[in-house]
Amino acid sequence: MAIVDRDIYDAVIIGAGVSGLVCGCYLAKAGMKVLIAEQHFKPGGYCTSFKRKGFTFDAAAHSFGSFREGGNMNRVFRELDLDKRLKIKRYDPSDVIITPDYKISFWNDLNRTIKELQGAFPHETEIRDFFDFMSSPKPAEIAALRNKTFKDLLDKYFTDDRVKTILSIALLINGGLPPSLLTAFTGSQIFSEFLLDGGYYPDGGMQALPDALADRFKELGGTLLLSCRVKKIKIKDESVAGVVLEMGDFIRSKYVISNCDARQTFLKLLGRRVISEDLLQKLDTMVPSLSMFVLYLGISKDMASLPQPGCTAWFLSHYAIEDMYLSSKKRNAGNLQEFLLRVSPDGESVLAMVLAPFRNTKYWINNKHKLLEAFIKKIEEHTTPDLSKYIVYKDAATPSTLYRYTLNYKGACYGWESIRSQFADPDFIKPPICQNLYLTGHWTTRGLGVAGVTYIGYNTASLIIKKEKLCYN
Amino acid sequence: MVDNVEKEIVSIISDVSGLDAEDITPEKNFFKDLEVDSIKAIEITVAIEKKFKVSIRDEDVPKITTVQEAVALVNSLLDQKRS
Repeated sequence: MAIVDRDIYDAVIIGAGVSGLVCGCYLAKAGMKVLIAEQHFKPGGYCTSFKRKGFTFDAAAHSFGSFREGGNMNRVFRELDLDKRLKIKRYDPSDVIITPDYKISFWNDLNRTIKELQGAFPHETEIRDFFDFMSSPKPAEIAALRNKTFKDLLDKYFTDDRVKTILSIALLINGGLPPSLLTAFTGSQIFSEFLLDGGYYPDGGMQALPDALADRFKELGGTLLLSCRVKKIKIKDESVAGVVLEMGDFIRSKYVISNCDARQTFLKLLGRRVISEDLLQKLDTMVPSLSMFVLYLGISKDMASLPQPGCTAWFLSHYAIEDMYLSSKKRNAGNLQEFLLRVSPDGESVLAMVLAPFRNTKYWINNKHKLLEAFIKKIEEHTTPDLSKYIVYKDAATPSTLYRYTLNYKGACYGWESIRSQFADPDFIKPPICQNLYLTGHWTTRGLGVAGVTYIGYNTASLIIKKEKLCYN
Repeated sequence: MVDNVEKEIVSIISDVSGLDAEDITPEKNFFKDLEVDSIKAIEITVAIEKKFKVSIRDEDVPKITTVQEAVALVNSLLDQKRS
């Protein structure tokens, strides 16, 4: 049975993560004939939701940012008519950071957040300057930070390590790196997306976002194949020729855009023999970001001690953020020091996360339950002593689970580590292998998170649309 | 020589922005005319440094607003390297 139109496609996109979907929508909107092949049975990548025992859980991505007027998400919503399809609510505060000495909220009203920080740290005189810079940096000012880390940026404005840690904890868990290693650009991007203009959530759960993108893509004439793995990217006469699906079908296409794991794209889909020795060496030495251990709890009672639904809480037991990163790399049931905790906007489920290394599948089969129980105990110690009594469903995703669902190398949550030596590398945008081959999504070394990959999806499409001399609208 | 520097810089901007090389003329402003945002500004700066094996001082980056200013800066850095 033919599953796809036998005609030649203008573009095939491998992977229906948010970036692939956004890219597909823009290409289809410009009049191109586009096919997206996704190996999972639902679109979204890390931005999916699932149901168990009547509870809806967001798998990993749990809110998004950059939805203010002029923000990337806002623009994409408008240009793709998603604003009419999705009801978006912003939670206030979007985030609250709880340390042994402080509770700092990130309010929708930035002035209120600034005042709260100024009240807690009266000796820090440049809090407002820092927020002003982070709120609207000029492109050239950001370019000047290309060799800087987020720590360099923090050190310019602050002296107290406690405030630096409070402003960095969301970056550690949502970027996988401490400030001393995270690029200033990526740090600023996460800070802006999650803390300054964050807390947006689609009615119905995070899955509503990729579902709306997938519907819009199909409405624009695109073909979306789910449960459809791509086996090979074919090259002919120094240009991509198309892709071979797992069942053997060859799909001809002028452009191929990979929204899946970069190592797989190069080593498996393209194959070592078409890749230069330099690029092979680079792939062997590049470091992927850490993975995550995600706890999913269904609860039977509203508990006042839990954070308010829709607000993301960050718990810290000390301020040594560099040590938190080092211990994340050895994560086990005995070293749960900092974590993200969130009650779903419907108030019925709890999502909690810590960074964790991939290790191997066997390790996680043997240790998943231990870590899950230790994590619940940790939440009870920090915030909700009787939580266990009201848990009616519990499960967890390990790094091995994240790999299984997304095929991201080592269950990496954020593509390559956002360190300076792996930043803005053109080989991961337009690989120097053949014509008309592009990468999109968090493996392109230019951004992460829902808003970050949305921008990258738009940007990839815009490069192709300009090359084809087509019109966006 | 100047022509080559300009040609290479235009080629980098074209690669990053997707704009045709012939539309990237010396007087064009990166931010007003060439749709250069934060990440593209970084990509262009990093690519120029790599291509010409020069290091642009951080404080000089925000001073560059047009293609010809970028060309002039790279030429002066290349002159310094030669002397």
